[in-house]
Amino acid sequence: MGKIITLALKDLKVLSRDKGSVFWVLFFPLLVALFFGSIFSGGGGGPSGMKIAVVDTDSTDYSIAFAEELSGLSSLQVSRIPADSAIDKVRRGKLSAVVTIKKGFGQTLGMFTDSAMIEIGVDPSRKMTVGYLQGLLTQSHFRLLQKRYADPESWRMGMDSLLADTSFWEKAPPGTEEIGRSIIGSFKELSHYISTSGETGTSDTTSDSAGTTAEAKKEDGFNLFPMKMTTITNDEAGPRSSFEITFPSSMLWALIGIASAFAVSIVKERTAGTFLRLRLAPISRMQILAGKGLACFLSSLVVTIILLLFGNLVFGVRIGNPVILLIAVIATSYCFVGISMLVSTIGKTEESVGGASWGILLVSAMTGGGMIPLMFMPGWLVTISHFSPVKWGILAIEGGVWRNFTFSDMLMPLGMLIGIGTLTFAIGATILSRRDS
Amino acid sequence: MITVKNLKKSFGELTAVDDVSFSINKGEVFGLLGPNGAGKTTTINIIVGLLKPDSGLVEIDGNSDPTKSSVRTRIGNAPQTLALYDMLSGRENLEFFGKLYGLSGSKLKERVDWALDFGRLTDRQKDRVGTYSGGMKRRLNMAGAVIHDPPVILFDEPTVGVDPQSRNMIFDSIEDLKAQGRTIVYTTHYMEEAERLCDEVAIIDHGKILDLGTVRDLTKQYGGPALIEAEYESLPDDISGLPGEFEGNTVRIETEKPMEDLAKLTRNGHTLRQLRIDQPDLETVFLNITGRSLRD
Ligand SMILES: Nc1ncnc2c1ncn2[C@@H]1O[C@H](COP(=O)(O)OP(=O)(O)O)[C@@H](O)[C@H]1O
Ligand SMILES: [Mg+2]
Repeated sequence: MGKIITLALKDLKVLSRDKGSVFWVLFFPLLVALFFGSIFSGGGGGPSGMKIAVVDTDSTDYSIAFAEELSGLSSLQVSRIPADSAIDKVRRGKLSAVVTIKKGFGQTLGMFTDSAMIEIGVDPSRKMTVGYLQGLLTQSHFRLLQKRYADPESWRMGMDSLLADTSFWEKAPPGTEEIGRSIIGSFKELSHYISTSGETGTSDTTSDSAGTTAEAKKEDGFNLFPMKMTTITNDEAGPRSSFEITFPSSMLWALIGIASAFAVSIVKERTAGTFLRLRLAPISRMQILAGKGLACFLSSLVVTIILLLFGNLVFGVRIGNPVILLIAVIATSYCFVGISMLVSTIGKTEESVGGASWGILLVSAMTGGGMIPLMFMPGWLVTISHFSPVKWGILAIEGGVWRNFTFSDMLMPLGMLIGIGTLTFAIGATILSRRDS
Repeated sequence: MITVKNLKKSFGELTAVDDVSFSINKGEVFGLLGPNGAGKTTTINIIVGLLKPDSGLVEIDGNSDPTKSSVRTRIGNAPQTLALYDMLSGRENLEFFGKLYGLSGSKLKERVDWALDFGRLTDRQKDRVGTYSGGMKRRLNMAGAVIHDPPVILFDEPTVGVDPQSRNMIFDSIEDLKAQGRTIVYTTHYMEEAERLCDEVAIIDHGKILDLGTVRDLTKQYGGPALIEAEYESLPDDISGLPGEFEGNTVRIETEKPMEDLAKLTRNGHTLRQLRIDQPDLETVFLNITGRSLRD
């Protein structure tokens, strides 16, 4: 085991020093999450502000001033509705919190008193909200980040400069420049399309038509908002912001990047001759493969957790059920270790494996809902998606974020992930060990 | 220490190693000398267990399976194709290799320091290998082979693509290892290297060992006469008793005994303006055995 860890740590070190890989593995997925999150966020608890209700039971000059103060904060969207409907909305996830100004607020303001004059009512699954409301210092920091990332226009400009930056592309992993450019190019077009069509589309989605089904809303085209309405009415589970949809898929993008990076690193070990050195050492083939697998697995875990925490802290992406979520992340990472192993056998040069792995993984991402949510896909594509590990990964992770999955709900996606992972690992490892005997 | 018997290895139609046998004593430097494609690397790869021979056997220290862990730790191999991680520093490369051989803690540090010194890389140890020159990479590649202190070491063409300074460092390092009593296999297609370093040499071509022996014996057997070319300040009055053929002031002699003939030329106080002696060397040996020059 010690030697497997030695092998894995070496790979992690090498990977973390490769700027091209770090981009594809960490920044590109983040870009996906933030970019799509920002263009789809028409409202809800997105970056435009946390929706809260303020219920003023005090009705003094001071309490009115305080409520106005809150309303003035750009990071909050304050509505003034009666207490019971506010509580109902929090329960249904329409509001993040209800802030009640209690009677006596005005009278005791500025005096030392034992009784709390402000009450924050919040959904227990949103523990973050309390901290968020209270954390005035961190809030200003978040606001800065949000402002920057919530503007599709700045994204388009960022992508333009990325496309024009030739020195960046020279550093990109071999075989990925063309694909990378075309992805970013299509994002750009997509963002343009969405931001222009969204203006007409949002008018009817803002109306709180809770009973509308996903089926009916599908015709509206490219709009994420109606989907949220329906899922909320079903079982009170549903994404509270577009970021709760884009972060799980960004985690899959990260895993795709990692799978590709490790597939290339397996090949590179051969082309760089270092594989010879490994085979000369007193370690077995299985240890060599296990080392690669462990490194791939660990980096998958680390990167998905970073993305999750970033989504959680900055964009309020829930960690609905930490245990389910952890299981989902582990199973998905495991699955992509196997895929990485199999993909590495596609070619014998870094270029061929780098290019081919992105090609294959891109298709599984597209068919699996990594780019366009499954519910906007035609039926035949949805059928194909059952074979996409990306689909099952997203489903499992969403299960822990907002789908309120129980363990039995998780059986299907977990089974698929572990099955695909084990199968691809076995095939990949067999091909690899046959190759040089 | 190393015994190789009737090794054969084919890649499809091509027989890369054809009935190769030799044995190497402990503490000896053994040279495998032959042009590109002769089968040197294939032979090495069979000895260290990277390749399975079609037939024949290899014994290292009485052990016939070089893939066994206990044997692997006793062998060091610097492959012809560099086997290094460009993204890691020289030191990190060596630390990683050392750990693969089970070294850790202060023992690992001690060995890494030693290997860095062996490769004359101590002052560049923190730099990434990607920034190293060809010669430095070669030296690190060799250091990686000795990190675990093996008694048997194989260097496959360690001087290819190396500047003269690195070349000398490499020779010095190998001579150090030899002085420590290690058994070394050294492949090259440079005659003068084999001549300088090796106790015994096998001349290999097209997968076959053509002959094998000490440099001195091989030279005697296949080297042919030495060539003396001397130019007199002024021609002696009587040249009839002198060996060789004269052309003006210059005399040319092909001889088995260059020193005796040289003494004859300078008898009676005659002085020479210029003198050249071409001793037979492995280059000539190779030419005489194969009819071809070693260098392409
Ligand atoms: N893996 C291989 N597959 C096919 N042919 C090979 C392989 N390895 C070596 N050869 C061939 O075997 C012959 C001997 O190669 P090699 O042992 O590398 O020679 P050397 O090291 O003396 O230059 C060459 O003709 C080479 O092309
Ligand atoms: Mg060779």
